[in-house]
Amino acid sequence: MTELRLEGVSKAYGDTVALEGVDLTVRDGEFFTLVGPSGCGKTTTLRTVAGFEEPTDGAVRFDSREMTGVPPEQRDVGVVFQSYALFPHMSVAENVGYGLQFREPPDGVTVDERVANLLELVDLEGMGERSPEQLSGGQRQRVALARALAPAPDLLLLDEPMSALDAQLRESLRRQVKRIQSTLEITTVYVTHDQAEALAISDRLAVMNDGGVEQVGRPQEVYREPATRFVAEFVGDNNVFEGEVCGGDGEYSRVDVDGETFTLPTVPEGTDRVTVCVRPGALSRSAERNRLTVRVETSEFLGETVRVNGRWNGTDIVLQRPTVPERDELTVGFAPEDAHVVARQ
Amino acid sequence: MLYVPVGVVFVNAVVDDGGATLAFVREVLTDPFYFGALADVFAEPLSVRHHLASVAGWLAAVSVSVSLEYPLPGVPLPVPVPGLETPGIRTGLFGFTAYQAALSTVASVALGLPAAYILANYEFRGRQTLRSLTILPFVLPGIMVAVGFYAMFGRTGTLNGLLGVGGVGPYPFIEWNPLAVVIVAHAFYNAPLVARVTVAAWESVDARTVETARSLGASPRRAFRDVIVPQLLPAILTGALLTFIFTFMTFPIVLALGGLQLATVEVWIYDRVRRLAYAEAATLTVLETLLSLALTYAYLRYESAQSGLARGAGEPDREPLFPDLRTALSPRRVAILGYGLVAVVVFVGPLASLVAGSVTDGSGLTGRHYAFLLERQLEGADYQTLPWVAIRNSLVFGVATLAVAVPMGVVVSVVTVRAGRGGAIVDTLAMLPLAVSGVVFGIGLLRGLVFGIPLPGGWRFQVTGAVAIVFAHAVAAYPFVTRNVSPLLSNLDPAMVESARALGATRYRALRDVELPLVASGIVAGAAFAFAISIGEFSSTVILAGGGQSYTMPVAVERYLGRRSGPAIAMGTVLLAVTAASFVVVDRVGGRFER
Repeated sequence: MTELRLEGVSKAYGDTVALEGVDLTVRDGEFFTLVGPSGCGKTTTLRTVAGFEEPTDGAVRFDSREMTGVPPEQRDVGVVFQSYALFPHMSVAENVGYGLQFREPPDGVTVDERVANLLELVDLEGMGERSPEQLSGGQRQRVALARALAPAPDLLLLDEPMSALDAQLRESLRRQVKRIQSTLEITTVYVTHDQAEALAISDRLAVMNDGGVEQVGRPQEVYREPATRFVAEFVGDNNVFEGEVCGGDGEYSRVDVDGETFTLPTVPEGTDRVTVCVRPGALSRSAERNRLTVRVETSEFLGETVRVNGRWNGTDIVLQRPTVPERDELTVGFAPEDAHVVARQ
Repeated sequence: MLYVPVGVVFVNAVVDDGGATLAFVREVLTDPFYFGALADVFAEPLSVRHHLASVAGWLAAVSVSVSLEYPLPGVPLPVPVPGLETPGIRTGLFGFTAYQAALSTVASVALGLPAAYILANYEFRGRQTLRSLTILPFVLPGIMVAVGFYAMFGRTGTLNGLLGVGGVGPYPFIEWNPLAVVIVAHAFYNAPLVARVTVAAWESVDARTVETARSLGASPRRAFRDVIVPQLLPAILTGALLTFIFTFMTFPIVLALGGLQLATVEVWIYDRVRRLAYAEAATLTVLETLLSLALTYAYLRYESAQSGLARGAGEPDREPLFPDLRTALSPRRVAILGYGLVAVVVFVGPLASLVAGSVTDGSGLTGRHYAFLLERQLEGADYQTLPWVAIRNSLVFGVATLAVAVPMGVVVSVVTVRAGRGGAIVDTLAMLPLAVSGVVFGIGLLRGLVFGIPLPGGWRFQVTGAVAIVFAHAVAAYPFVTRNVSPLLSNLDPAMVESARALGATRYRALRDVELPLVASGIVAGAAFAFAISIGEFSSTVILAGGGQSYTMPVAVERYLGRRSGPAIAMGTVLLAVTAASFVVVDRVGGRFER
């Protein structure tokens, strides 16, 4: 199959820089997600891969083939858009079969067989004669997926394909997409602004911000060891402190945060200023070290747990508690091992 | 394409024997015949005190009174008439043109607003159809509508026929008050326009804004005044301004119903051209075009200032119009019924009268009007106006117009939709034909292309009258193609073309497989409009056809009308049939009547 490489890809529209020096490698058969807030460049990256945009600088390679200047119709990619972009004047089957006019169906099957197989793959057997207008949002999404997969593309590109659907449907479709992707072992790039979705579905993901890549890694790595403050705050709830290293004993470092001294895992020699990240679940009342007294502001009941928002020393704090706290103040602490420390320049 | 003929007219107005001169312009501006009391101002622009004194003197002489009058002779029904006695003020040709345009605008708004109210607030069978039909008058041939009004209000018209059953009449309505008939005819054209833009605004009012006002304590009446009216006003003003522009440039209706005694600028220009006074005609044309362009500019500025208004999400709920008998008898429903009757008289009356008038005369059913046409065709001499020649010319010009206007309109559409911000400018420029009158355009083509433009090297660029007519029709028609194609094109999700390309289609294949099928209905609807416009176009055609052989159905109608009304009405009915047929086409392809 295909490995996708972006090498120093930049894209500018006049004075506006949409992408700046993006380097990424998506491995053969991998489910790779680009995640970030709107305007971060993730969709531009996808469109550059598809050939709808040409990079101002840098190169896109499928395996070793340089794709600069190759029009979209010659790239062998399947694209699914947020709006699905089904052709309203064609039936479901005609939509799915459209790309088979230009590329032979794989494995020597006929066009009709290929269309039927794909409709079966997305659980839409027998719906071929319907018009896209007769389908629900989730069904349209699956038709768009089947249409993109029909010519057996080298790469599958999904641009926020779920964001027009409601939450429950999104989760079940997400599982279906993932199942199909791993069955076909097709190299897939998925664009979303939803970090929870990105963590759930990806083999690896890239967190993007401001036209650049902040961090690439497996979901657990990105969640547990965010490389930057931006990633720490964007991926999951997090408590983030800025501090200065003020000592250490070989086993732990001591970090001064707004006049309090935290005991944290040892930082590399020469590190001066650090960002400290502590997940809400790691703040517990029983932890003996790094105690802080939080002024409770609001509590949100989430079912399994209660999320408590509060303030400590001018910093916003998020806690996870089993019940709604009865007092205005809560004293909690965290073990040094539960904190993630990032060196700052 | 548009600018050359208009430019030719401008050059004609300021060039005399090869030298540039403003003499023609000065002559017209200072002639009280054209500008009335204002001519004085143009002649001596600096003697401000003198002008103020004449205004003060005029104001001092105004008197207001109320008197009882008997508007229907023989009917003892006194009506109090507020009289505004003003000392005669000489308005001149331009003043009168503006005056009748203002009256027509008032009449159109008065007739159009109730229709907008009913269409926006009540549900009834045929509501959608009626709403769609409001575009129809726009492409009905003006001369045909004029003949329809003639067939209704004329001495042997249907109105007198109905009155005759009751033993009164006949009355010469048109001779009594031609201005009133002209104004009603203008309302026939423009009230639907006012209704259209107002309904569109009304339907885009978010019902939730009204509900919010109600929950904050406003009564239904207050909520209407505070929330709905401010959102409708821009649309009403737009409709009024457009109506004023169109009726300022009115031509066939005044020509057919009023003649030279009611001459507007356009009619007078036409008369000058027939008398071969080209320089005077060109000068008048320039002044008229400047005025109408200024008005159009004002309109476009206004429209763009309004376009930022938010589009409402929830359409207002519509009540059933006649849910049960009790409601049907409520004062409001009775008023609506009354309005409906007026609307039927104004809108259906003339067209029905046209058809009825073609098969009747003063005494009963007759086929002699059609027989006259047939006879003329079979026995008429070459110099006479032959019906079949007119029909054939109309059809040939119509098809030729399609061949020019459809590609032109589609290209303009594509450029407008694709070009983003620059597209707005292209859009405006492309819509200018609507602001330049057919008469002006006709003169430009006649003086320019038909008489020939000298080219370097002793060549002349010259076309025949027929080519020039097609040219004029195409310019008048292509905006309708653009208006029909653009919305479909801009609604196309660009991701659709991208999907097709990712699936392996070339840019050309994506155009053929995806874009074209999706805008096809707009192209066909635009083509039907273009055809209807060409069939009905009168202003430039009558100038370009002159006394020659390239006359069309509307021109034939006008020529017959000069002598005998019966055959003109019969010819008008044929015109109606052809126009109606092209609208059946629009309807069949599910064409959009909407902008």
